[in-house]
Amino acid sequence: MIDPVLSLRDAKLALDANAGRVEILHGIDLDIRAGETVGLTGPSGSGKSSLLMIMGGLERATGGTVMALGHDLTALGEDALARFRLKHMGVVFQSFHLIPTMTALENVATPLELAGAADAFDRAEAELTAVGLSHRLDHYPSQLSGGEQQRVALARAAAPRPAILLADEPTGNLDGPTGEAIMDMLFGLRDRHGATLVLVTHAPELAARCDRQIRLRDGRLDTLSEAAE
Amino acid sequence: MSAAWRIARRELRGGLRGFYIFLICLALGVAAIAAVGSVRAGIEAGLAREGAAILGGDAQAEFTYRFATEEERSWLESVAEEVSETVDFRSMAVAGNERGLTQVRGVDDLYPLYGEVVLDPPMDIASALERRALPGGVMQPVLAARLGLRVGDTFTLGTQQFELRALLEREPDSAGAGFGLGPRTLVTLEGLQESGLITAGTLYDTQYRLRLPAGTDLEALENAAETRFAESGLRWQDSRNGAPGIARFVDRLGAFLVLVGLSGLAVGGLGVSAAVRSYLEGKLDTIATLKTLGATGRVIFTVYFIQVGILSLIGVGLGLLLGALLPLALGPVIEAQLPVPAVFTLYPGPLVEAAIYGLLTAAIFVIWPLARAQDIRAAGLFRDIAGGGMSLPRWPFLLVIAALSAVLIALAVLFSGAWALSLGAAGGIIAALAILAIMAGLVRISARRLARSRVVRGRPALRLALGAVGGPGGETASVILSLGLGLTVLATVGQIEMNTRNAISQDLPEVAPAYFFLDIQNDQLPDFLEIAHAQDGVGRIDTAPMLRGIVTRINGQTARDVAGDHWILRGDRGVTYAASQPESAELTQGTWWPDDYTGPPLVSFAAEEGAELGLSLGDKLTVNVLGRDIEVEIANFRVVEFGDMGINFVMILNEAALAGAPHTHIATLYAEEAAEGPLLRTLSRAFPNVTAIGVRDAITRVSEALGGLAAATSYGAAATLVTGFVVLIGAAAAGTRRRVFEAAVLKTVGATRGRILASFALRSAILGAMAGLVAILGGALAGWAVMTFVMEADYSFQVISALTIVSGGAVASLLAGLAFAWAPLAARPARVLRSRD
Repeated sequence: MIDPVLSLRDAKLALDANAGRVEILHGIDLDIRAGETVGLTGPSGSGKSSLLMIMGGLERATGGTVMALGHDLTALGEDALARFRLKHMGVVFQSFHLIPTMTALENVATPLELAGAADAFDRAEAELTAVGLSHRLDHYPSQLSGGEQQRVALARAAAPRPAILLADEPTGNLDGPTGEAIMDMLFGLRDRHGATLVLVTHAPELAARCDRQIRLRDGRLDTLSEAAE
Repeated sequence: MSAAWRIARRELRGGLRGFYIFLICLALGVAAIAAVGSVRAGIEAGLAREGAAILGGDAQAEFTYRFATEEERSWLESVAEEVSETVDFRSMAVAGNERGLTQVRGVDDLYPLYGEVVLDPPMDIASALERRALPGGVMQPVLAARLGLRVGDTFTLGTQQFELRALLEREPDSAGAGFGLGPRTLVTLEGLQESGLITAGTLYDTQYRLRLPAGTDLEALENAAETRFAESGLRWQDSRNGAPGIARFVDRLGAFLVLVGLSGLAVGGLGVSAAVRSYLEGKLDTIATLKTLGATGRVIFTVYFIQVGILSLIGVGLGLLLGALLPLALGPVIEAQLPVPAVFTLYPGPLVEAAIYGLLTAAIFVIWPLARAQDIRAAGLFRDIAGGGMSLPRWPFLLVIAALSAVLIALAVLFSGAWALSLGAAGGIIAALAILAIMAGLVRISARRLARSRVVRGRPALRLALGAVGGPGGETASVILSLGLGLTVLATVGQIEMNTRNAISQDLPEVAPAYFFLDIQNDQLPDFLEIAHAQDGVGRIDTAPMLRGIVTRINGQTARDVAGDHWILRGDRGVTYAASQPESAELTQGTWWPDDYTGPPLVSFAAEEGAELGLSLGDKLTVNVLGRDIEVEIANFRVVEFGDMGINFVMILNEAALAGAPHTHIATLYAEEAAEGPLLRTLSRAFPNVTAIGVRDAITRVSEALGGLAAATSYGAAATLVTGFVVLIGAAAAGTRRRVFEAAVLKTVGATRGRILASFALRSAILGAMAGLVAILGGALAGWAVMTFVMEADYSFQVISALTIVSGGAVASLLAGLAFAWAPLAARPARVLRSRD
């Protein structure tokens, strides 16, 4: 068997809230193989976004281990996690999360620059052209529609050619046709670069496009199902 | 309205959170103005209460060069219950080999009519000055120390010996005497008679202090005196304004400091505006929801205007409390520093003034963001339009802002009574704000350009910083405006202060003489010159005959009616005569008279002052010299540089015009510094009646006085800067939410905390340095204007002060930025980003 790119063992997450400590994930065991597309589904509050966040090192698991490409994310410091994402991961959010003080081009170039790429801007431009935004390079996020903002976010996540793409309800804030176009792009990017894609979604038809669907309920894995090819 | 009120009340239930900066900004500005106004009112009340003691009598008649005539004296005695005579002049006090310049006052046995002389050891002034083996004298401790004198020792004034009976701790009428170059010595008039110091032609003033019957009409008496002795050189003063010089000074300084306070309030206004904008940004959803539910723009405006209005009242109230209590609490400390009495209590006037300024400023600065809030569309709920930039409010609001600003400026003119200064300051603040706003725009555009240029590619921290400075939203405008205005005030004060200090302490001594010698008698002059020239290290010696004269009429009309209250016409001026044109005299108009001219008296007049008085060639002036009227015709105008500290006279008459008038000579002596001490000892031993004024000492005294002034101004400017810093902290705090988000996104795409911190630090430093640069431009411009038009002195750009300001700005901004960097750096990206989903 090929080594999994993501491997969770008894992964737990508990957060301190005003009302006391809340257990969000209760010991998740999960392996995701290289090149696989995985859909995380489940009702609201089931912990699917939290699971995605600990896979990306954006949230630290409070128990168990989270291995990504052979690195234990729970053992890495804040900056080491940032460097790890820079090299290996791209993240897309429901609310796009572009930096409002930067143009589309600058937003996409930022991770490339952080990685020290000399041709950061050329690559960023190529990436934006690939998502159909060559005419919006110098626009600020506030000057773009929701669909356009999400395309910039996709370009930004994909530009450094990450091995793992994480997407947290990337079409949640978009209308049907726009969301569909974004999904086409996301899967297109994955196909072109051969990245592993983990996708959180409420939409059954999106989950159905993935190689595998994982359903969560109350912070536990509910059903494992292989999507029909 | 009532719906708006109810909604506003519900919104206010959240308390003052998010409004601390608002309150501090407003309270600080109001407190500074209220405190300055209260201190000024306290001093004015003190001066008014002790007017008679400060003046030394209910009224005073003063003469220069002479005692009152029989006629004058008997009139004074006819109107007063008591008349006390004093004489005042500069001289040298000598003890052994030590000598020091002193301001001597000879008094009669009625002195002081009001108040009390405080001596150490305690005794009454009459017994301290009475003649025993020698006449008695008292002097200020600083002079006694300089001469090495202790109580019981003897000292000499002119040719008369006195016994030092006590040290002079306080004389009641010192504040009215004006600026003296030497410490005070008190002796009796009778004791001075043998000193040889009060002779015809020497420079002295006599004062006749009156104790008037209760209920005397001071105004009527003043008119009577002036009608009766209009042209005899009598100067009248009464207790309505016992220390006009000080009262005027306090008034001016107070007005100036209030204007500095107003600039502080303007900075505070920026903070208030930023706080309101940031509060409203947090309320975008509420406003959009209210609009969705049917609230009109007017209702929205009213809802938030009510809230901000209530907060403004709280802020102004806090400021008034602070401004009223501070002078009360610090009263004893302040009074100890003042040369004049002060009464510290609650003065409603200054508090009302400060409150009006505070409320108007708050209104001017909150209307802008409030007006924009009412334009928020319901669609804002569905689209992120927070970073809406700096769009203008609708024109009625702009009109209201302009009208309120005009009212504020008009009130500042009215309250300060100094219209030129007020309008200048208002113009300065508005111009500075406009320049700063333009600069903020330019900085943003350049930063944006630079962020996209190839130069910064591959330097993500720098590009992120530039992107943040140049991008939409952000704090660029508010930091550059608030910090920039605060720094501009400080830079202006710095430029003026350094230029003034330089003018006095650096420029002048290079060309200035070492000593002025006064009261050289005619028969002493040849010996004086011979002895002086024989000393080592002595260079040029200039001498001139010296008389004092008062210009009473211009072309037959009362001078003040013709030319107003010009300084030349205020009291007596030095007058000299010359047969031939002095080498240094450069004529601008007319010709010099022939050497042997004996016709009707002619005068050579200072060109600049002549122009100010509206004089032209051929005009006739009546000059009262030693009680005698001389009518002179203007023969020429000549350049006079008062700045070079040489011998300068506004008026030079032809020799024959003053022939026979008793007079003395004045000399300026240029010498190497090392030669000054021995020279002074030799000359004052040979000529005990001659008074020497060390230019270096005089400059030190003037520098000290200016230093005090500069300190007062610096405190005012510091208050402005503190407000600026508070605004800065407010801006940094308001920007925290934005930075937390940016940091989270940057971490997600792989930025380490070091890089994020570097980017934050860079952007703060860039903004601070830009604010500093603008401040330097503004400060240099304002400094130049003040030096050129107000001080009439040369201006030179002060590099060190400027560099300090720029780096200070960068550091202040950096500190404020870093103080709020922890939260963004520490936040977990997942929590930040998910909370916004």
